Amino acid sequence: MIGIVFGLRLGRWGVVGFSLAGLLLVFAQTAGFYQVAGTTPGARAAFGSAMATLAAQLVALFPPPLRPDTAGGYAEFRGFHPLAVLFAVWALASATGFARGDEERGVVEAALATGTSRIALIASRTVGFALAVTVASAAAAAGFLIGVASGHETAAVQGVVEEAALLAVIGVACYTLSLFVAQMAGPRLATAAAGTLLLALFLDNSLSRAMSSLTAWRWLSPFRYYDLSQPLPPGGHFDARAFLVLIGISVLATAAAAAAFMRRDLGASLIRLPSIPHRPSYDVTAAPWWGVAVARGLYERRLGLLAWSAGMAVMALSFVALTKTIVQVLLSIPSLLPYLSIFVHQQLYPAVLGYTWFNVAELMFAAFAITYVARWSAEDSDGRLEIFLSQPLSRAGIVLERMAVLAAGAVLIAAVSGAVLFYASHQQGIDLNAQRLTAASLMLVPFALVFAGAGSLLAAWNPRAAVGLLGAFAFASYLDTELGTIYKFPVWLLDLSAFKLFGAPLLNGVNGRNLALMLLLALAGIGSSILAIQRRDVGA
Amino acid sequence: MLREMAVAAISTSQLTKDYGAGRGLFDLGLHVSQQEVFGYLGPNGSGKTTTIRLLMGMIRPTNGSAHVFGLDCVRDAMEVKRKVGYLPGDIPQFGSLRGDEVVAYLGGMRGGVDRRHVRAIAERFDLDLNRRFREYSSGNKQKLGILLAFMHRPELLILDEPTSGLDPLNQQEFYELLRETRAGGATIFLSSHVLSEVEHVCDRVGILRRGRLVKVAELGELTRIRVHHVEVEFAPGEEVPAERLRAAEGVEDLSVEGQRLRCTVHGNFDALLEAISGSRVIDLVSTEPSLEEFFLSFFGEPKPKALPS
Ligand SMILES: Nc1ncnc2c1ncn2[C@@H]1O[C@H](COP(=O)(O)OP(=O)(O)O)[C@@H](O)[C@H]1O
Ligand SMILES: [Mg+2]
Repeated sequence: MIGIVFGLRLGRWGVVGFSLAGLLLVFAQTAGFYQVAGTTPGARAAFGSAMATLAAQLVALFPPPLRPDTAGGYAEFRGFHPLAVLFAVWALASATGFARGDEERGVVEAALATGTSRIALIASRTVGFALAVTVASAAAAAGFLIGVASGHETAAVQGVVEEAALLAVIGVACYTLSLFVAQMAGPRLATAAAGTLLLALFLDNSLSRAMSSLTAWRWLSPFRYYDLSQPLPPGGHFDARAFLVLIGISVLATAAAAAAFMRRDLGASLIRLPSIPHRPSYDVTAAPWWGVAVARGLYERRLGLLAWSAGMAVMALSFVALTKTIVQVLLSIPSLLPYLSIFVHQQLYPAVLGYTWFNVAELMFAAFAITYVARWSAEDSDGRLEIFLSQPLSRAGIVLERMAVLAAGAVLIAAVSGAVLFYASHQQGIDLNAQRLTAASLMLVPFALVFAGAGSLLAAWNPRAAVGLLGAFAFASYLDTELGTIYKFPVWLLDLSAFKLFGAPLLNGVNGRNLALMLLLALAGIGSSILAIQRRDVGA
Repeated sequence: MLREMAVAAISTSQLTKDYGAGRGLFDLGLHVSQQEVFGYLGPNGSGKTTTIRLLMGMIRPTNGSAHVFGLDCVRDAMEVKRKVGYLPGDIPQFGSLRGDEVVAYLGGMRGGVDRRHVRAIAERFDLDLNRRFREYSSGNKQKLGILLAFMHRPELLILDEPTSGLDPLNQQEFYELLRETRAGGATIFLSSHVLSEVEHVCDRVGILRRGRLVKVAELGELTRIRVHHVEVEFAPGEEVPAERLRAAEGVEDLSVEGQRLRCTVHGNFDALLEAISGSRVIDLVSTEPSLEEFFLSFFGEPKPKALPS
């Protein structure tokens, strides 16, 4: 976990990377709108209602769009909302990276030793991130303007500015909240604790759209105040009060983080667990797993694996719980009924569940692979790889062991979340095809391996840039499927994207050709990374 | 015995790693016999770590070759590492793993680690293995690194500045461990930037400067070429025997200030002690010059400006 922070934190690369991501995503979605939405008012209206169907399925993630039959409404829904989530992850990584990653490496100590006060340090980092996220948001807004220009339309400048400001301020709010949590939790838990809080706040708001029991609590979530404005589409609105609330949250959280930072020791958390009585020992543990190649790696990562499994299980539960609500919404739109029955016949529940769950699971498994790659890069640059290599292990052996550990971890998470999905949906009276579900869940493993293979190659080539580049690769793979159908990419280009190759296995079964292609991509990554690491200087 | 005669523990020929701008290691020809303790001495940035990484197969030579027990350090890296115990210059972070877990982890990768031997080393350095790596002081981290290098009773130890971070008591303990290990038949190659340190334990010393091996000396020879700054304070009223000292062999740069006398002594102290015998001395301090000063007197070259570290 510390690893991903290390990778994503990358000050200026973060700005460049996320600005590019914002620009590309929003531009591609906006320009894509003109390709698919048609030109006549009738075509646009039909497109709008198709989008409303899609949005209904995703209501657990994003608010329903306003006027998806316009470029503004569509770009806000498909471009800016996902970007807000991406920027929240960036904020999390930056904040915990500053609060904990830098501290572990002594950077904070060095900064304080120059006479900088703790308040000034917290404030300067927060302002630094605020600037960075503002630049990236402006880039996203520019993407929208260029996209609109490509469709020979014009956009209201005020709405665009408001949208960018909103995006920046939700990023800053996430940053400051993470910063605060990181002060409270110990170094090992900082990222996990802050990530859990952000996820909880996000779900609190987004699930409240489908679960009325949560509406009483959504005022707690900064994402709620983000949702209250939709300034981009015609007839959109900007809620200035909600915007001010977000700024207030940021200021308060920064102050709280500074106060906590002043009160704690460097390298310690504000909340201290009572220490367990300590008994010195000179003995080596006799635990057998350290001697077994893949077992030791799994044991070392046991806490992380536990957290991923539990997190994915909880998500599976909430997706099952939401499915009925979503389907009811879908069925309540009379004009959609023929459309729905043509496409999915009796399988409406499995179709919706499969679509929503596996879409999110794909993203999570890509993220899982990225955290492992971050760890490998960290091992490389901090000297652990050198000390591993001073044991009689071949470099190829180390690469293969890493892959095997990742694959075993992915199998575990896929199995746990698949089982929870199966039993929870059974409880709800949705019967999933057990065989298909097993196959589909296991398909997530080669999916993760595609990213791990690419990451392994990047880490062997340049450990410092690996995480950023792999993030870009994952993002490009995702865009490839998103835009491939709109812009009619050639098949071979689509086949490079693991997201496309994954397909919809719960609905359609596992496609043998796509599975083989995924394995081929993974093997190509692993093979070339073995070649690359043979020739690399290690520890220099 | 025959084998020991035949195969050097370490041998390199024209070993070069060129990092550009005159940095790196150049044309190293080095021979370390079996059961020898070899000190590899050089100031910061002189190429000690580079040499060691080349021997361990971590980095590839630009030119030349290195062999350990006759095995090529690039091609037979696996075999080499089976025979070698390695202490890197910087111990990496193992975060929240406990000391014993780090040992078990790396020992598990290697296989065949003698747990009693590990326990014995941990005990003699008083290294508590039941603590998290994060909580170790830098001295304890260094002790753990030493433990990892010695845990499998290797035939050759390659140690990069092994005493950095150790207090004097633990340094002595470490020298003792080296002597025992050597008596047990192992070969030891250790780097350092402190002359007096390698004198304690080494049979031979190689001196490295700006990436080039400038001298290989036996211990006795080293005593002859070495230098001390000496400060002598004579009792009040006592005549300072400046003339006798000026004439003494190996004494140079003499200056007198009241009852205090400063000079530089090359080689041993016999002549100096003879010259001041009979005078009442109330204080005598001898300090070892830095390696840079040593080079200055040794090579008569101007002292280089701040060396890259
Ligand atoms: N990876 C590298 N890239 C460029 N220069 C390096 C690299 N590693 C070491 N050097 C340079 O090579 C020289 C020798 O370094 P090193 O072997 O670490 O010295 P020592 O261990 O004797 O202090 C130094 O000038 C150092 O700056
Ligand atoms: Mg060094």
